[in-house]
Amino acid sequence: MRYVIVGGGVAGTTAAEALRKRDAKSEITLVSEEHHPLYSRVLLPHYLKGKVPRERVFLKKEAWYGQQQIEWLTGIACEHLDPRNQFVGLTDGRELPYDRLLVATGGEVRTVDADLRGVSYLRTLDDADHLAQILCEQPADARAVIFGGGFIACEYLNLFSHFRLPTTLFHRGAHFWTRSLGEEAGALIAKHLTERGVELHTRTQFVNLLGESELTGVVTSQGEHAAHLLGVGIGTSPDFSWLKAAGVDVGAGVRTNAFLETNIPHVYAAGDIAEFFDEIVGRHIQAGNWMNAMSQGRAAAHIMSGEREPFHLVSSYATNALGLEIIFVGDTLKDAADEVRVLGSVHALGVTQIFVRQGRVVGGVLIGRNQDRAAITKAIQEQKTASEFEIC
Amino acid sequence: MKLHIKVDPDLCIGAASCVTIAPETFQLNEENKAYVLDHGTEPTPRTYERVIDVTEEEKENLILAAQSCPTLAIFIFDEAGVQLFPDL
Ligand SMILES: Cc1cc2nc3c(=O)[nH]c(=O)nc-3n(C[C@H](O)[C@H](O)[C@H](O)COP(=O)(O)OP(=O)(O)OC[C@H]3O[C@@H](n4cnc5c(N)ncnc54)[C@H](O)[C@@H]3O)c2cc1C
Ligand code: SF4
Repeated sequence: MRYVIVGGGVAGTTAAEALRKRDAKSEITLVSEEHHPLYSRVLLPHYLKGKVPRERVFLKKEAWYGQQQIEWLTGIACEHLDPRNQFVGLTDGRELPYDRLLVATGGEVRTVDADLRGVSYLRTLDDADHLAQILCEQPADARAVIFGGGFIACEYLNLFSHFRLPTTLFHRGAHFWTRSLGEEAGALIAKHLTERGVELHTRTQFVNLLGESELTGVVTSQGEHAAHLLGVGIGTSPDFSWLKAAGVDVGAGVRTNAFLETNIPHVYAAGDIAEFFDEIVGRHIQAGNWMNAMSQGRAAAHIMSGEREPFHLVSSYATNALGLEIIFVGDTLKDAADEVRVLGSVHALGVTQIFVRQGRVVGGVLIGRNQDRAAITKAIQEQKTASEFEIC
Repeated sequence: MKLHIKVDPDLCIGAASCVTIAPETFQLNEENKAYVLDHGTEPTPRTYERVIDVTEEEKENLILAAQSCPTLAIFIFDEAGVQLFPDL
């Protein structure tokens, strides 16, 4: 059997490891656009704050790939798929035949249409190295601006606060995570941030950057903001072109069934890129967190090597914004829910939203209310009806 | 065999991967940090580290749980104090 895995992040690498564990003889090739052995993106903020040294972000050593007899191609991307003849084309001109192909390509950051020294992104280790460099170069009176209203914006808030940089944050929506949060939850986050000195501008568009070669400011629809540093965290937009050209069904992500199989025979997807049919919540979702990526990598390996087990996991993403704990569990898209129940309030400093579809609990967002986590996770897992579900 | 399991609360971000894989050993506290249990019980007050007696199979699963932690906040030592995970 010849396995080709595209993407050397946690989903792809876990898949390669799990395949090798089950089968000592198969050929396994891992095609990785990045040059580094597997590292934890989740540790990048810790590294930037100096909480862990750079070498601690790595989860595998370079020698590991050889020891596992995994052919590891670095700095090379996959750019072509021929599903009929079962091979992929790589940027170095090579063609790799496969019996089973796993697409685990994660997400590419969405960028703004301008660049100057001082503009940063936060997805890869190279991004983090670049950011570490510009953080060192800042003058004493440096100001920071963040563009975004999601998980990466939270990382930037914590990072800039760690370096005591006065910070302005703007985003297009009325509040953070507009696709998931309602007004009460949004207001709680806004209150928490503004009370801690963040200058917050909502419903604000990015217009342009100011500066010659170095950033001096950011122009938004609200005016000009002085800035030496800009952190952009406005989501990801993966390159689906090679997959679409091959006829792979692509929605917000690469669509799969509950077995992580795409519409093309012998082609599978796992991790941030996969928009998989989640049998627990009863629709296609894209998860975008570490637990999901790792578990799907392992599940995909088992399925590709012949097991017939659907992928089941209620995954979560926990973060915090300047000390306010924020947890997403399960399916948290407002538009896909029939009803969103709200517990707590801004006044009580805690808001939980419970997402209900067809009478069932399918997701939850907890802001300042960690205590609801276990009950909500269990309710989703056990497919409880909203009426059976009581939370105090 | 006996294993010494330790969570570094400064590194733990409450991702809960460990809880998913080994709920008998890890659960989250109010601060959203993983604490350590002995087969689902807490014979001594709540703690971030414990020595527990495990089978070979349980040990494998604990290593899997530690591997799943995105911040490598879980440390596993054997009886002699040798660090089994993370690999040094
Ligand atoms: C700063 C930061 C903090 C985070 N914090 C948390 C957290 O606290 N908790 C949490 O649960 N999650 C967190 N996440 C999210 C988590 O890291 C991701 O969900 C996870 O890394 C996804 O893994 P993946 O393998 O699916 O994708 P990725 O890690 O994105 O890996 C995909 C790889 O494929 C490569 N690739 C893409 N296209 C191609 C191609 N055509 N050919 C070859 N290679 C290709 C990419 O370069 C990349 O290296 C964080 C992410 C970031 C960036
Ligand atoms: S997996 Fe790691 S970060 Fe997540 S709860 Fe467990 S110890 Fe904490």
